[in-house]
Formats: sequence, C-alpha cells, structure tokens
Amino acid sequence: MYDFIIIGAGIIGSIIARELSKYQVKAIVLEKENDVANVQTLANSAIIHSGHNPEPNTLKAKFNVLGNKLYDELEKELNIPILHCGAFVVAHNKEEEEHLLELYENAKINNVPEFELLDYKKAVKSEPNLSKNTTKVLSLPTTKVTNPWEVAFACMENAMENGIEFQKNAEVTNIKYRDKHFIITINNQTKLESLAVINAAGVNSDDLAHMIEKDTPFYIRPRKGEYFVIDRRVKGFINHILYPLPTDAGKGVLLTPQVHGEILIGPNSLYIDDKYNKSVTFEGLDYVKKNAPALAENIPFDKIIHSFAGVRASSNIDDFYIGESKEYKRLYHLGGIDSPGLSAAPAIAKYLLEDIIKIKQSYNKKNNFNPYRKKRIEFHRLPLNEQLELIKQYPTYGNIICKCEKITEKEIVDAIHSKLGSDTIKGIKKRTRAGSGLCQGGYCEEKVMKIIARETSRSPLDTAYDSPKSKIFKAETKVEE
Amino acid sequence: MKKKFICIVCPRGCHITVDDDGTISGNKCIRGIDYVKTEMTSPKRIVTSTVKTIFKELPRVSVKTDKPVPKNKIMEIMKELSKVIITEPMERGSIIIENIMNTGSNIVLTRSCMK
Amino acid sequence: MKRDIIVIGGGASGLAAAISVKKEGKDVLLIEREERLGGILNQCIHNGFGLEVFKEEYTGPEYADIYIEEFNQLNIDYLVNTTVIKFNKIKDEFVLYTSSLAKGIQKYNAKSIIISTGCYERTRGSIIIPGDRPTGVITAGSAQRYLNIDGYMVGKRVFILGSGDIGLIMARRMYLEGAEVLGVAELMPYSNGLTRNIVQCLNDFDIPLYLSHTVTKITSDENNRLKSIVLQKVDDRFKPIEGTQKTFEVDTLLLSIGLIPDIVLLDSLDVEYDKLTKSVKVNQALETQVEGLFVAGNALQVHDLADNVSKESERAGYNAAKYVDNPKRKHKTIKLLSGENISYISPQYIDFAWPESDVICSFRSKGKIEKGLIEVIQGENKVLSKRLMYIVPAEMETFSLKIESLNENEDIIINLEAIK
Repeated sequence: MYDFIIIGAGIIGSIIARELSKYQVKAIVLEKENDVANVQTLANSAIIHSGHNPEPNTLKAKFNVLGNKLYDELEKELNIPILHCGAFVVAHNKEEEEHLLELYENAKINNVPEFELLDYKKAVKSEPNLSKNTTKVLSLPTTKVTNPWEVAFACMENAMENGIEFQKNAEVTNIKYRDKHFIITINNQTKLESLAVINAAGVNSDDLAHMIEKDTPFYIRPRKGEYFVIDRRVKGFINHILYPLPTDAGKGVLLTPQVHGEILIGPNSLYIDDKYNKSVTFEGLDYVKKNAPALAENIPFDKIIHSFAGVRASSNIDDFYIGESKEYKRLYHLGGIDSPGLSAAPAIAKYLLEDIIKIKQSYNKKNNFNPYRKKRIEFHRLPLNEQLELIKQYPTYGNIICKCEKITEKEIVDAIHSKLGSDTIKGIKKRTRAGSGLCQGGYCEEKVMKIIARETSRSPLDTAYDSPKSKIFKAETKVEE
Repeated sequence: MKKKFICIVCPRGCHITVDDDGTISGNKCIRGIDYVKTEMTSPKRIVTSTVKTIFKELPRVSVKTDKPVPKNKIMEIMKELSKVIITEPMERGSIIIENIMNTGSNIVLTRSCMK
Repeated sequence: MKRDIIVIGGGASGLAAAISVKKEGKDVLLIEREERLGGILNQCIHNGFGLEVFKEEYTGPEYADIYIEEFNQLNIDYLVNTTVIKFNKIKDEFVLYTSSLAKGIQKYNAKSIIISTGCYERTRGSIIIPGDRPTGVITAGSAQRYLNIDGYMVGKRVFILGSGDIGLIMARRMYLEGAEVLGVAELMPYSNGLTRNIVQCLNDFDIPLYLSHTVTKITSDENNRLKSIVLQKVDDRFKPIEGTQKTFEVDTLLLSIGLIPDIVLLDSLDVEYDKLTKSVKVNQALETQVEGLFVAGNALQVHDLADNVSKESERAGYNAAKYVDNPKRKHKTIKLLSGENISYISPQYIDFAWPESDVICSFRSKGKIEKGLIEVIQGENKVLSKRLMYIVPAEMETFSLKIESLNENEDIIINLEAIK
C-alpha cells in the first residue's frame, strides 16, 4: 500500500515527488511515456516568468512570483542551469505604452520584486538588436530561463535518491476506490494500491479524473503553440527575453534565449481538438515569423535548425485548479497547469503538500533528506585543467561523439546508466544534448545508437528513438527473408 | 522516329540523338556511340552494392561488377550477393564471385576487407 | 611542436591537400575525426569517381583507396578518431586543441591550416514540412551510411524529397536492397542531380520524378513512425497549389534537400562569409582573409564531382606550402562578382600578392541554359569569352584566368547569357 501515487512525471509531478520525498512516505510516480518530461515539459519557452502578467489574487499570480523566488534555492540545491537574463515587454506607440503601464501596475500588485519602465534609448543600450520601433519597455530583471526537462530530471532523480519510486511506460487505465483506498490499474494489467492519488497528468488530467469522478470541476482545452529554434551560434543576438504586449490569446510570440545559447521564436496560440496534436503547420510558423520582427531587428531566420509544437493543458477556468476532489477524499487534482506552470512549479508543490494535503498532520519529515544533486558534468564547459584531470581518470571523456555540441562518450554512457537513465536516442538527447546542434544528429545519431546497443547488450536493430515501439531501423540487409 | 538518350558512361551526360537512319549525334566521345548502340539492343549496367562480412569492425564491404551486366539480370545478381559472407581478409580487387549469373562479369571488392 | 601545415579532415579534400603539401617538401599533419580516412567516399559505393583525375571510372571507396595508398607511401603523419575542439589564430600562428580517446586533449601549433571538413546535410528543421515528427524522416546521407557501412535498412516503403545526387543514388540503392521506392520529389522545375543519375537511378527502375513538387504534410502512426506523406505541386513562386495533393503511404522519407559547408571551426576567426556559397570568402589561392588559413573541397563550396574536390584541394596544399615559405605578403585584392544568371562565383577575390597561384574560377548558373556564353569583364576589358553547352545549376562549371591579363584596380564581373 502506497501513501501516495503521483500520476504524471512532467515538471509538476516531478517537483511534487521531490517535495513528498522530504516526508516519511511510501510513494511512486507513474508516467505513461517512456521518459520523464516527455510531453508539455519538453515543449515550451522554458521561461521562469516574473509574475507581471497574471490576474492579481489568482493562484497563477501568487505562485508565479513565489515560484520565481524558490527557483533560486532550487538552482543551488539541484544544480540546474538557469540563465539570469531578465526580460523586456516591448511597446511601440502611445496605445501600447498605456497597456504597458497597466502591466506595470499589475506587477506592483502581484509583488514582483523588481521592475521598471525604460525608454527605448536606455533599453537599447543593453539590447542592441531591440526593434527600432520600440518606444518604451517594461524591464523585468527577475525573469529567467531554464532547461525545463533538466529541472524535471533533477527533481525526479533527487526524489528517487530520497526514496520515491518511479515507473515509466505505466499508463493508468483505471482508478477505483475501495475500503478507504485507491486501486490504480496500470496498462490494463498491474494493480497498485494507495491511500492517496495526485493527478498531475497534464493534458490528460481531466480524462484521468473522469475514470473515477462523475463531475470534475475543470476540463482541459488543449492549446497548441509552435516554435522555431535558432542555432546557438547566434548567441548574443539578444540578451533578454523579449515579450510583446499580451493579448487574450496569451503572452504572444516571444524571442527567448535558451540556457545553451539557442533562441526560441514563438509560440503562436491555437485551441485544438486533439490533445496529442504536436504537428507544426505552415500557418502557425508563418504567424510566428510575421510577429517576431516586431520585437527585434535582423532576426537570423536563416539560422533556423528546428521547429516544434507543444500543447498547453489550458482549461475552461482562467486559473490553476489545485484541490482535493469533491467526490473522493485524498484524490488531488492539478488541472489546467498551463503558463506560468513552469515558473510556479516549486510554489505549486509546496501549496499542494502544505495547504491542500496538509501533509504535516499525517506524516513526519525525514531527518535524512538530502536536498542536493550533483551538477551534471557538461564536459565541454569545464576549464581545461579540470578536463585534463577527468580525462586521466576516464579516457572516454576524450572521445567526442556529438561534434556540434562537443558531447563525449562518457557523458552518454553515464546518461544511459544513471538512476534516471535512458536507452533511447531522444532520451540521450534530452540528457546530454547529443543531436541538438547544427546538424541535428546527422553525424552523431549513428554513434549514439552504437553506444546504446553496446551498453545495453542489445542489437542496434532494437534501438528506439523515443517510445519502445519507435525503432529507427526496419531490417538488416543481406538477410534472406 | 528519333530516339533520345542521355549517356551515362561519364558524369558529362551527353544528350545523344539517334535518327531513323541510325545516325548518332550529340556525343562528345566515342564511348557514347557504343553506349547508345548497346542501350538500344541490350542495355547494360555496372552494379554496385555491398556484401556481408563476419568482421565486427567492417560489417559490410563494398563490391561491384567489373563489367557492365544486362539490366534485366540486376535483381537476380542482388539476390546472389545477399548470400555472400566474407570470412577472411581480402584485398581490394579480389574476385568473390566469378562470372556472376553467366554474364561474363565478376564481382570484385572495391575496398580491402581487413587488410 | 610547431607544424608547418595542419590539414583538418581526411576525406577527398584533406587527402589531396596533404599529399600536395608533402610533395612540396613541407611538414604536414592530417587530423580526421572518423576511425578511417576517406570521408564520405567510404559510403559512396557507387560509380562516378575518377573520370577526370584518373581517366577511369571508380567507385567512391576505390577512389579513396588510391589516394590513401599514395598518402601512406608518402608517410604522411596523421591522427584518426580525433576531433578538433578549439581553433584560433594567436599572433602569427594557429593554435588547435584536439580531443580523442587515445590521447585525450592535445594542443598543436601550425603556421598554416587547410580546412577540409566537408559538408553536413540540411535537415527537416530548416525547411518547414508541416505535420508530425515521427521516426522514419531521415537525411539521405545518414540513410546511406546506415545502409552501406552498417548494413541496416531504415525503411521499406520510401519516398525521397530532393533530386540532388544523394537522393537519386539512394533511390536506386534502397530499391536494389528490396525497398519500394514510390517516387522522388523536386521543388524546382528541373532536377538537381547529374543527368546520368536520372537515367540510371530513376528511369532504370521506373521510379517517378515529380518536378515542381514538394512534401506538404507528414503523418505518423500510433507508434510515432512515419505513416504517410502528402505531395503537392508548387507554382512558380514555390507555393503549394491547392487541389494537387497526393498521399503516399510510406514508412520512410529521405531528405536530400541540400548540403551546407561545415565551417563551424572558423567561428572564432575573423573570416568573411559568402551568403551565396554558405561558406567563407577566399582569394584565388583558396586563402581566407585570415592569412595562412586555406579552405578547400566541400567546405568551400558544394561540389558535384570528387575529382574537382581533389584538384581544388591539391591547389590549396600547394599554396599553403608556398605560404609557409613566404607568409608576409602585401595584399592587393580585387573582387570577383556574380553577374547575370550566375548563382555564385568562387573565389570571391583575386589577390595580386599570390602570383604563383593559378586563377581557377568555379560557378553555378541560376537556371538551365542550353547554349551559353560566359563573359569575364574587368572595367572596359573583356578578359575571357567562352561558350558552354547544357549548363545546369546542378553541374559546377570552371574556367581559368591568367593573372597577367588582369589589372590590380578594377573589380571583375562574370556574366552568363543564353545564346542561340
């Protein structure tokens, strides 16, 4: 019997798992995909917003600002990469300046710790490629960028380190309540039992709730956003995140520097029917391309290396839905966690445990909780003397596999065998960045494939890209059929 | 009726025309004439492929027919090649199948295998 | 230890360059990141190599072998499985850091460098193909490597986007290995590959070629494998025409949509880029704005024939050797400009500080021209006039100039016009 089963290992499920691991609980996280952070958490702008935008006195406003602050502590404890770049909201005329002023006031009410209005002349000093049509900006220095799936990995690894279990490829197919506990069926076969269930299933959180509830107080309205990725070698093109004025559709098409140097352009915003629709479209990307130049000059569209779409778990409510089920005690829902979900995540986890679950009433804190996670070795970023030392111990740090990003064999092997390891091309890409660069894996995918096969003692024919069924190869040649 | 060909003997790809009376024009060298004549009667091609080896460091090694072979025998030749397994080191140019499918052409290695 | 010349890349370009340097009596080290020399030639198991250089037709591996044999006979120093990770010019010398399993991180200094790093393939990410992102969408070169080197088929029902040579060659290759190849689509109204490849790769096997078509949608199945593509005709502005959609049920889409010179190593240097070649600008000696830094082969401009890569790289090697003897030159450059119907010209400069170098110019036309006239004009002077037949963008053309016939003060423009 578990104390808690968490369903969903995106950023929300992972960070809740970590919070839970501070208590003496028996808990497991179930994830239907073949990896942590494989859906929403993998496809967003990666921004930790300042909290200037949400409607005051909403959970979104409260937790955005609090979450932003909590990331400072998370950065130190988990050694996650954070780019402290700040942001500008860009206005081009008197009308937009009025709107900017409203945002300014909103930031004040929301208790955003730092913000100020700057005119173009001042703003352009620290942002030389700022659009020439800019008249005024709202500067938001506490805005940051992170690597969302690495945050999720870090939280989940730390949670596992502190005793939480994790199972991937585990789709919840049924939830029942009997004798004061829940019975969760996984993949139509295995049954697990738990005193409490935490629904952190993202776009599927309403479907999951409907497995047991008659009337769930929220439903998901999936909203797609498409992005371009610009090669990191244009680093320095912009220094801040650039926002346009927000509209009802959302924050708009942004320009966002990423922690490794790439620039994201996007997203657009489109309500869709199919939750699993991750396709990019001409219209979507056209929209992004048309709106981005309002923010900056000389956008290097010719350096685009990738485009992708992400789905937001927007809901019919304008705020986060975080609460206990009205029908079943100890079933907790996290519904409609769209933007600023990533920013608010640390605060959401604390709120859920302390205010909703009231966990301290039932469980003691662990006295051996270890909050720390060692920094992942990004070999190419180390100073030369450290590199030489490490190579002496592990010569495979000398074997460059991904030439574009300078990722070494040792990093890849470690990513395969780590506690939250992966044996897929995509899993290795997420953990090490091999294949994320200019040639998008053209050079290294074959090498990564061979290392995976070697390290898992399997045939290269078995190598999967993402889900176990997504194999790269169809057949071997020269084999009689 | 005029017949039009693109010669494939070299990367130049001369556009060659054959008139009703058999006059050949458009070729930049004499090989084009032979090509077109053969192409009209029994088209031939060089076949390049790979064969399997037992060597982990070199699981496949590239091969070719050392002479052009009839176009209509290509798929049969491919089938024969899929039965080959190289089990010992061999030099580039080694013949691994003599007179494949009775075409008068041999299958030769186009690179050395573990040598 | 300070080397005279380091060649980065051990494929067709690097081999020819290093051999040339050694023959000029200079010290040279070649660095290759793969485990064998030969570069892309190793996976180009088809014919078409050596007709110009050796007057005989060879397959890629044979062509590579011939160079590797000469390379070894000359006892040229080289490293394999070694990647250059950092590269800079400090004062008068080049400083390189390499990384390898065998030697860890090493530092090298050289008086001169030849960049022979070839190309990488354009991927789906840089063009927009709407739709899902399943497995089964892969560049033709990657599929070629998996097939010819490792022995794996990436799919069984194949469609190919792009009629460049790699796409055409792979159409035939996949067919011969038992795949169904349903067609090749080309955005342009003409093929991008060598004409002979249309015949021996497509026509021979009745593989249809859809000119002025492109792929406008990719759909995946429940296992996130490619399930189908939509092909659409495009108008003369390359916009898809509504109503021309055709669906193909395939499990593999090979992308042969362009090669891009791999010159990332030059990021930290003060080189000048050419948007047209997607590489760096050079003078007729194949030297960049950074003195002693030479670029040759596919890293300089995308070639169609390995023979031309070898010839160009041989010149680069020769010039690098001359540079080492005489590094301090008083530069006096004029520009070479692309005029009518010229898509790009290489070199982009003629430097009169390089009298010992031939001036061999290569260019590509903007469109198909059956009968053309090339004119090279400097000011009032017509320096060269040459007739050419069957000019297509897919086939690089060359001509040479005598530096004595040029003046040092005026830029040169190259025009190509169609004639009757």
